[in-house]
Amino acid sequence: MAKILKSLCAAALLALATATPLEAAVVVSSKLSSESAMLGEMIRLLLNAHGIPTVDRTRIGATPVVRQALLAGEIDLYVEYTGNAGLFFNDAANPAWKDLAQGYELGSRLDYAAHRIVWLAPARASNAWALAVRGDVAQAYRLRTMSDFGRWVSGGGDTVLICSAEFANAGTLRSLERTYGFVLHSSQLIVLAGGETAATIAAAAAGTNGANTAMVYGTDGGIAAAHLQILEDDRHDQPVYAPVPVIRESVLQQYPQIAAIVKPLMESFDRETLQRLNARVQIDGEADEAVAADYLKSKGWLN
Amino acid sequence: MIRVEGLTKRYDTTTVVDDVSFEVERNSITVVVGTSGSGKSTLLRMINRLVEPSSGRVLLDGADTRSEPAHLLRRRIGYVIQGNGLFPHRTVAENVATVPRLLGWPDERIQARVTELLEIFQLDPALYAGALPHQLSGGQQQRVGVARALAAEPGVLLMDEPFGALDPIIRAKAQEDLLDIQRRFGTTVVLVTHDMDEAFHLGHCIAVMSQGRLLQYDRPATLLTQPADSFVARMTGLSDRALKLLALTSAGEAALPGSSEGPRVASSATLREVLSELLWRRADSALVLGADGAPRGQLTVAAILARAHP
Amino acid sequence: MSGLAITAPRERVDRLGLLLTAAGAVALIGLPFVIFKSNRIVPGEPRALHEVLPLWGALGLQFVLLGDAAVALGVADARRRLVAALAGIVVLALAVAAAANALTPPGNKVVRIAPGGASWVLLVCLGLMATDAITRMRPRPLARVLLLVLTLAIAGAALRIGTFDNLSVMREYAVNAGRFPAELLRHVWLAGGSLIAALIVGLPLGILCHRVPRLRPPVLGTLNVIQTIPAIALFGILMAPLGALAARLPAAAALGIRGIGAAPAVVALFLYSLLPIVADTVVGLRRVSRAAVDAALGMGMTGSQVLARIELPLALPVILTGIRVVLVQNIGMVTIAALIGGGGLGTFVFQGIGQNAIDLVLLGAIPIVALAFSASVLLDALIETLERSGSASTGPTS
Repeated sequence: MAKILKSLCAAALLALATATPLEAAVVVSSKLSSESAMLGEMIRLLLNAHGIPTVDRTRIGATPVVRQALLAGEIDLYVEYTGNAGLFFNDAANPAWKDLAQGYELGSRLDYAAHRIVWLAPARASNAWALAVRGDVAQAYRLRTMSDFGRWVSGGGDTVLICSAEFANAGTLRSLERTYGFVLHSSQLIVLAGGETAATIAAAAAGTNGANTAMVYGTDGGIAAAHLQILEDDRHDQPVYAPVPVIRESVLQQYPQIAAIVKPLMESFDRETLQRLNARVQIDGEADEAVAADYLKSKGWLN
Repeated sequence: MIRVEGLTKRYDTTTVVDDVSFEVERNSITVVVGTSGSGKSTLLRMINRLVEPSSGRVLLDGADTRSEPAHLLRRRIGYVIQGNGLFPHRTVAENVATVPRLLGWPDERIQARVTELLEIFQLDPALYAGALPHQLSGGQQQRVGVARALAAEPGVLLMDEPFGALDPIIRAKAQEDLLDIQRRFGTTVVLVTHDMDEAFHLGHCIAVMSQGRLLQYDRPATLLTQPADSFVARMTGLSDRALKLLALTSAGEAALPGSSEGPRVASSATLREVLSELLWRRADSALVLGADGAPRGQLTVAAILARAHP
Repeated sequence: MSGLAITAPRERVDRLGLLLTAAGAVALIGLPFVIFKSNRIVPGEPRALHEVLPLWGALGLQFVLLGDAAVALGVADARRRLVAALAGIVVLALAVAAAANALTPPGNKVVRIAPGGASWVLLVCLGLMATDAITRMRPRPLARVLLLVLTLAIAGAALRIGTFDNLSVMREYAVNAGRFPAELLRHVWLAGGSLIAALIVGLPLGILCHRVPRLRPPVLGTLNVIQTIPAIALFGILMAPLGALAARLPAAAALGIRGIGAAPAVVALFLYSLLPIVADTVVGLRRVSRAAVDAALGMGMTGSQVLARIELPLALPVILTGIRVVLVQNIGMVTIAALIGGGGLGTFVFQGIGQNAIDLVLLGAIPIVALAFSASVLLDALIETLERSGSASTGPTS
């Protein structure tokens, strides 16, 4: 009996121990969302290709969970979005976030000073909240930008917007309304509890409950497939959410080459590229690891 | 063999057993009798230290029972309780083998002892050894309970109202079996009951208890002819004490030389039974026959009546 | 016909059969057989039975279903009903798989085909007919376990040889095949590990509460309060202290105790598991026959011998019931652990929710349900086996 107990304990400890990162391996993580996981996979594969050992701890949770894990040192690297720094440092109203370069500079300064977290090269695409209208509506009323949208709605355009509670109540919608000169009545709003743009896209595409406008993220893969037209934020009302890998300084010091490795990858992205890659995962249902490896191979960074 | 000296048990302010002393002879049956609340069960349980005395001591063959750990003491003392307490998840054989296993007997010895006991208690080992308690009748379960208590050949057997849950016919048989077993193994038995008739039937000595105190400890006949006080007299039964006294003697013991033309009675019959038979037949005397059928003597009504009083 | 087969006069129609036949008929006529989606997130289009199967296939399926309806209505013999129901399930499953194959253009991995309302309703009806038949047969515990193993083996074999590969759930599986076994194992490990931890603490605690009645109200009261904390909240509450612990004590971090991941999930599940274990241990011990315990002590067993040989074995059926409750509860709750990095099948569930891909959710949910069901069947069989072998804790009746 005692023997069995001992070996059980040993097995348990062993199992727990194997869950820990290996000595000197970089723990690469990501949020639960498919874009985050895909970018995380790309970075991990790229690091491996350059001989840096990694541990895969992707898809561990939502932003607060992953951020907490990074600050606690339980993970080393993941892809964050520049605009989120405004929330982390309670400075969301700062106009610097609306510009990619300024936002990046501000965020990386704040994060380094407060937590010794280094921001690596960002991608030039914004995954900010945006509105997308049904293709047929966009064509009929020639809607390309948010300014067009504002004109159309205030001129009596028949829009029904489906969005999340956070979008409607935390100020984003108000801000858009102010900047583009339109007001939505509550009858023109369908508010969902969660922030899943897959649901809003599907609803607008199907016209569920009359919805013809969806809250989306800039790089969502489903937009084109659902025949929606994304509306350009021509007056830069929204903060820029550019994907940016963030890493703990101590790990970067151990492997300084990471910065140089990751730079060309992030710089290769623009909004259309990310949309296309996301579409393969979200619409076509390919595995994000497969899409990641494929992309790297197509760029010649992976054999 | 068992000497109880000044045993007392107090719970807070209540004294459940009050300074009880008596001595139990080897190879005898002592019955402790009393109404509920008389402390008789507590007294019994102080002998095997299921209850620790507040004061006083118990000497077993001269040795204080506190001189060894309680659980080791209890493995040398058989213990039977009302309801048997058979282990429902163990077979009859495993139940009986409990104490021998605790004592570490070798397997063959245990096996032999279990088989022996089951046969003595008229439980065919082939049929019953592997049975579970709930498959047995009440009477059979009771026999297994006693067999289990005797498995390790204890010198002492403690029984706490062992026949209480049995119906009258089975109870009578169980009482006879106990007398047989006691004669056969020579065990010293201390039995607790509230049934005075049972006490008179079984006990070589009877201890009468009331409210924690020992009122009288004597042979059954002495209890009848010389009760210590009116309480004891009332307990033993005033209404038919003459007949009770007669029931204590067997025909064989009281037979007088001579012969008789009257009804034949066995020498093992009690004088009470002989008297009853003579009255029924309207005869004056009976012929007493031994177990082998040979005449032992005769008994007249007058001779019997002469024994019906102190 | 055997005498046992006829249990009802011929004119009486089986009520359950009537209900199931009606439901099945309505579903087959009114609801789609399969749902077709050209990609993962567009809404699906209904397809009827005759649109997706060749004529002989559609007729064949309807013939089998009609036969099953007839058996459900008129046949009372449980064994025949079971055979009919199982045959119906197999044919239905194959028909759905065939429909999926027919609708998938060759080499296309993007389309998603799922069973439609009619298929689900028919599956439920046939399943009810089968389980009802099994219940009527009153199988012994071992038979039930064997039946479960057989069902899982057949289903597993069918999945492995690719019968259902064109169904949307299996498409999601194909994409996630690399990660699925690890998450499945992790799920089992988390559920089982927290149960074992709860047993290690809960059993002694229960024994203590049984021995010392004074302890019962405070202990059980505290555990009751813990039960009322919502799971997600408790996970969140535990993250901070465990994270701090990991930061302060490198040894703890080395053991895998962190603010995220398995640790907060296991701790929370451990806390939730304590109440059923402790409460059922106390109840189980209370029901052990006093006479048996008294006899055991009187015969010279030490306290721990009485506990180990008499009390615990007799209390075991009730304690096992507590374990069954905990295991099924934990298998379900581990799903939420995915939200805090704990892994397990919940990752598929929440990813599916995030991507509005219901099939990914099913990829997580169906195994979870299967695990919980299997655990329940296995433990029930164990409990019943123990009770049959005489561990009836009320003791002999006379």
